Amino acid sequence: MAEASGVREAGADRRFASSLITVGSVILAVVAVAVLFAPLLSSWGPEEIDPLASLAPPGGAHLLGTDLNGMDVWSRVLHAARLDVGIAVAAVALAVVAGSLVGLVAGYRGGWADDVLMRVLDVFQAFPTFILALAVAALLGGGTANLIAVIALVNAPAYARLVRAEVRSIRELPFVEASRTSGSSFWGVLWRHVLPNSLTPVRVIAPLNCGWAMLTLAGLSFLGLGVPLPTAEWGAMISLGSGDVVAGRWWTSVPPGLFLLICVLGFSLLGEGLQERADSTRR
Amino acid sequence: MRILRFVLRRLLQLVPVLLGVVVLTFLLVRVLPGDPIRTILGPNATEADAAAARARFGLDRPLWQQFLDYVGGLFTGDFGTSIQSGAPVGSEMALRIGPTMELVVIALAVALVLAVVLGIWSARHAGRFGDHTVRVAALIGNSVPEFWLGLVLVLVGYSVLGWFPAPSGRVDPDTELSLITGADLLDAALTANGPAFVSALEHLALPVATLVIVIVAPLLRSVRASALEVLASEAYTAAAAHGLKDRLLLRGYLVRATLVRLPALAALVFGFSIGSTVLVEYVFSWQGFGQWALRGLLYRDYPVVQASVLVIALFYVVVFLIADVVHAILDPRVRI
Repeated sequence: MAEASGVREAGADRRFASSLITVGSVILAVVAVAVLFAPLLSSWGPEEIDPLASLAPPGGAHLLGTDLNGMDVWSRVLHAARLDVGIAVAAVALAVVAGSLVGLVAGYRGGWADDVLMRVLDVFQAFPTFILALAVAALLGGGTANLIAVIALVNAPAYARLVRAEVRSIRELPFVEASRTSGSSFWGVLWRHVLPNSLTPVRVIAPLNCGWAMLTLAGLSFLGLGVPLPTAEWGAMISLGSGDVVAGRWWTSVPPGLFLLICVLGFSLLGEGLQERADSTRR
Repeated sequence: MRILRFVLRRLLQLVPVLLGVVVLTFLLVRVLPGDPIRTILGPNATEADAAAARARFGLDRPLWQQFLDYVGGLFTGDFGTSIQSGAPVGSEMALRIGPTMELVVIALAVALVLAVVLGIWSARHAGRFGDHTVRVAALIGNSVPEFWLGLVLVLVGYSVLGWFPAPSGRVDPDTELSLITGADLLDAALTANGPAFVSALEHLALPVATLVIVIVAPLLRSVRASALEVLASEAYTAAAAHGLKDRLLLRGYLVRATLVRLPALAALVFGFSIGSTVLVEYVFSWQGFGQWALRGLLYRDYPVVQASVLVIALFYVVVFLIADVVHAILDPRVRI
């Protein structure tokens, strides 16, 4: 009886996981279309000013109205996807590479290198990630390259720990031992045998992390620490429109936040689905 | 006795971390571009003015001497003098911590209760429609930008419905609330100021709701996962197989076992919510710690940056320490 219900639950879990992955993928596919075809989907440029319309309500020449500067909200929301998704994905990729490398060396070498690297990570992880990003971004200044670096920096320690833990269990396995004793070089063993087998948890975390990275980026921009105006970016748009909200004008800040939410949700659904699937296979 | 040794060992581990934080902030804030003196003097100041101001704040002295002064001050509780305001950083900070703590603590308390109730309910109905609804809702909560959510709540609660006050501060100044702790609700209660208490509550409603929605999501997920594990455990299955009543199963076996993990979880979420609070404070002009620290960062106010970064780190690691200790008390296996 208990077993039968366990089987039924596992089946339901797998179906739920598949639907999460499907919905997440569809959302991300739609976002990808927006990123690729943004200029075709909007009749105004993202930084083009309509001198006759400042804070025009939705409808007419402007599908979602215009902001304080007379720029088309719909066009800016679409074009912003390029920057937001681009920076987030680049930052997570950088964090994965840098973090995995540190985790790989620390976990495989052990000894003093491990101790030093882990103590450095301790200092970084003595802060909530958003606070660390905020502090470094405020001191470093905004701009695309700096934002990628900052978001990668705050996310890398988690990957380093994850990979290190995997590596420490893998390095003792017989096939690694065999490769070592048969005379493969240090980096050869790491690259061929240890690295590929230690990235499993990273694959599950990375999509979720892309969503967080987008939230971090938008949060920094909202506080004025992101890309300079008038570049189209969701957090900066919400910030510009925050004054309008008190006056009841919703269209300058609600649409960019909604797009951001949907986009992050796409990554979250995909990540959650992958995690659920990994869990149910393990059981 | 063993628990005491555990606490002491963990405290000792904090020393190098905090030392690293102190050194790193001190160096980073000075190495990276930006000059606090130029921001207070304005564009028309001469070199001589700048040099005089620099000397007044001790910034003309060698780096190692400045560092020794700073660390020496820390031991006597002296955080230095704000370059922007000229006031002692310690007392400025004390004014700002109360309002922020008020926000975070209330939000966390509400979120914990919600997460436990919904998480356990969701786990008991695992795989069914209600469970899936709760999980998707949690995913949405996990994906929502808190600063935007705050604005949407302002739009609906203030601009459209007019039920809540405008997002411009904490308590109506007409209520003449006298300052004790900085946490308005507490101050109003302590001074028996009824109108101020109501006003503080009204102002708290939207920012707290924003924070609750954001932080309940990760808590809920973990409570659910933890409850699922308990449900699958041998102890629970045995108890259920013996035909114990539902109420007893729920209270004695499920809830208690699930809550063992809650302290560690609450600590994690607490840290996460400090980040969200900076954004929420900004939306609601809360004038709390986050806004103060952000201003310090933007103007390169060295003593303010050093103090706020150190306090956040200290807070964060101590909260984790407390969570670990509570966990160790609840679960003796950790103590080895």
